[in-house]
Amino acid sequence: MRKFTRNIDNKSLQPTEEQIKRQKDFSRIHHDYEKLTKRGKKPLYRDPKALIFIVLVAVIILLLFLES
Amino acid sequence: MKFKRNIKNLSESEIIELAKKESYYFGILYDVYFEQIFRFVFSRLGGNESIAGDVTQETFLKAMANIQKYEDRGFPFSSWLYRIAQNEVSMYFRKSKKDNFVPVEIEKLNDLKDEITGDAGISEVEIDHLISMINELEASHLDIIELRFFQQMSFKEISEIYNISEANAKMRTYRILEKLKSNWGTK
Repeated sequence: MRKFTRNIDNKSLQPTEEQIKRQKDFSRIHHDYEKLTKRGKKPLYRDPKALIFIVLVAVIILLLFLES
Repeated sequence: MKFKRNIKNLSESEIIELAKKESYYFGILYDVYFEQIFRFVFSRLGGNESIAGDVTQETFLKAMANIQKYEDRGFPFSSWLYRIAQNEVSMYFRKSKKDNFVPVEIEKLNDLKDEITGDAGISEVEIDHLISMINELEASHLDIIELRFFQQMSFKEISEIYNISEANAKMRTYRILEKLKSNWGTK
């Protein structure tokens, strides 16, 4: 909730150069942006190629096991 | 090492197009516009440095995340940033449970009173009366009064922030002034 009051103690409503320098930080934004946009690693069950490869390897191992 | 183009020769619209493809280029826009957006947010929040810093960072983060959606419609790029900043400031006030006191200079109240009554000069009683009247306005009306009289923005700048025509910005402002005018004598 915003309430306007009269500026009795003549508080400056413009930042100083020092305050601007202190708050200016692109690396922080870039870091937050990376965090926001970075996708998690694709789970195995959603990657058909990897899934087929693993199933094939498992079938081969099973066949070799049954053969022996 | 990535090859970076010579940015000195690029126009702003070219930098925006590059920023859409690679986040590194957004840093150039950040460098150019940080100060003016921070000043705007700082004064809207009544000079609270740390909150103004956070709101400004959030503004640029949203701009960076949504730059793909930015379209050049003939308005300056800064008006798009002001629009995001304006929304972020409003959101901050909406979410905040406590009252946030924003100091206003007497000269600016005087300008507003002058516009309402047509009389120059403002007494102590009139200051209190005017402040209580504007504090009763709904948030969207308060925003326009603040932008026009306390931030001293032109109708053109206001129209760019709201993405409306200049005539519409004027009409909205004068309607609110009419409302204030009719309430001025009733209390």
